[in-house]
Amino acid sequence: MSAEHQHHSHIDQAAWAKSLILFGLGIYLAVLILTGNLANYINLRFAWLAYIGTALFFLLGLVNLYVCLNPRRAHSHHQISWDNLLIVAFPLLLALLIPSRSLGVEAVSGGIGLSPVGVERASALTRNPLDRNILDWLRVFNRAATPAAFNGQSVDVSGFVYREPSMGEDEFMVSRFTMSCCVADAYPIGMPVRSSATGEFTPGAWVRVRGEVFADLFQGEFAPIILADAIALIEEPAQPYLYP
Amino acid sequence: MRIDHPKAASPLPIKRVVFVLLAASVLSAAIYQALRAGDDLYLTASVFATRFLGIFIEAVPFLLLGSLTSGLIETFVKTDDILRFLPRSRLGAALGGTLLGLVFPVCECGVVPVTRRLFRKGLPLSMGVAFLLAAPFMNPIVFASTYIAFGFGGVLIGRALLTVLVAVIVATVIGSFADPREVLKPTSAKAGEEHSHHHHHHHPPGRPGLRAKLFSAMQIGADDFFEMGRFLILGSGLAALLQTFVPQDSLLALGSGPIMSVLFMQILAFLLSVCSTVDSFLALAFVNTFSTGAIISFLSFGPMVDIKSTLMFTGVFRRKIVLYLVLLPFVLNLLAGVLINVALGY
Repeated sequence: MSAEHQHHSHIDQAAWAKSLILFGLGIYLAVLILTGNLANYINLRFAWLAYIGTALFFLLGLVNLYVCLNPRRAHSHHQISWDNLLIVAFPLLLALLIPSRSLGVEAVSGGIGLSPVGVERASALTRNPLDRNILDWLRVFNRAATPAAFNGQSVDVSGFVYREPSMGEDEFMVSRFTMSCCVADAYPIGMPVRSSATGEFTPGAWVRVRGEVFADLFQGEFAPIILADAIALIEEPAQPYLYP
Repeated sequence: MRIDHPKAASPLPIKRVVFVLLAASVLSAAIYQALRAGDDLYLTASVFATRFLGIFIEAVPFLLLGSLTSGLIETFVKTDDILRFLPRSRLGAALGGTLLGLVFPVCECGVVPVTRRLFRKGLPLSMGVAFLLAAPFMNPIVFASTYIAFGFGGVLIGRALLTVLVAVIVATVIGSFADPREVLKPTSAKAGEEHSHHHHHHHPPGRPGLRAKLFSAMQIGADDFFEMGRFLILGSGLAALLQTFVPQDSLLALGSGPIMSVLFMQILAFLLSVCSTVDSFLALAFVNTFSTGAIISFLSFGPMVDIKSTLMFTGVFRRKIVLYLVLLPFVLNLLAGVLINVALGY
């Protein structure tokens, strides 16, 4: 009899834990949406997925809460073990322990790409040079008949500073991660920057770089190099990734 | 209150072992990386957290939808209904299974709980396996995303044909195991008559109303979410670990030539574990660098098998069958991708 009693109290506790985790995950998604931190994780084209997720977590959480308060309605042939509950709570623990961050210079392992990703878009070519982002620049540069086609055009891009030992004293790369659906496919691209002032900027710092484009060899291949007139520290943008 | 699953009542130590192992490997990998790069441990942990949560956030809505579908099947679909419409031959069942995805639109995060539920309702093996492999592609959202990304052409048609072909072959092979008990874990196999009707015990006498049915569907859905969610989370953790420690561009360097490009894209599909509803946009990123065969194999293989679905398979199938379910699609898609490349003259 006492064993059976123990069993019931275990069911109750597990049911409360289930409700707590479901509501917790729902609140977590809602907070990501409201703070805009969702942009750190997925392409905002798919933000509607997070809305659906939030709604379903709250719905299931409410159903479970109702069952906790009215145990007679329980459909309790299933019992979720504590290990299982702990694993499902893992994302919540991670989210609570580690503040939300976008992928930055620490996530670059193995260099920055100089080739564009995704399909060619004609819009990058017709866009005013000053409005092109790093991805647009790499796209038009890759399509150009000769590397020198864009020499002398004005450039105004922002990204984070990336440095390698092989780069010169007066060089760094201004870089962004591209993202098609979520951070699973994030890939870093960048443009080399040359300026006498590059040494002042620490890797990972977000900068706005203005200057002129000049095609030159960089690490063995032609790249659109920015001869910088002005480099300014900026805040990380609300959308840290470029969407191909 | 009756407890019908004595097995579930005593937690298996293996789960605890898996969890502890995962936690330990995350920790040791993070420490290793921090020591190697001279980096702050905290920064590496935050890169891992971002990658893990990104995959989880993108996949979890689909798992929720799949779990709810599973709950609705349990409460609204009668075993007899399923058995009545079954094709007789194994091949017919496999072909039918590929089309079943149109009835139950789910992606690869949601398909496993639905398949498990259908097996419990008595769906034949070959049909269930074909459903499992083909359904993540066979749904309107994936048709639409593939169409938006590639338009109506070779990639969309190739993806559809290859998906059906591989699903039917693998389903026929696994369906040839005579006894489903050799294939399925006890919790996934069809239950006895008494069990399959036991839900009615919980309801007041008479036919349960629509609201009561929806209510219990949501409870079953929540339970399925927890049971399958742990595999999604372990899989996302593993994928995030690999992405944090295996540089993407070191893999990219390998991806040239008619065979290597296909092999590379399939390994990438397995490691990235991106949802089938959005993988077309990801494939777009490789359209300029990779062969058409590699793109089609990526789109066909990715939804069938990846790290997180492999872990979810282990919750339904016996270990030997999980191996078949991973290796057969891998080899068949590889062959097809290479053949496409040869035919196109790469």
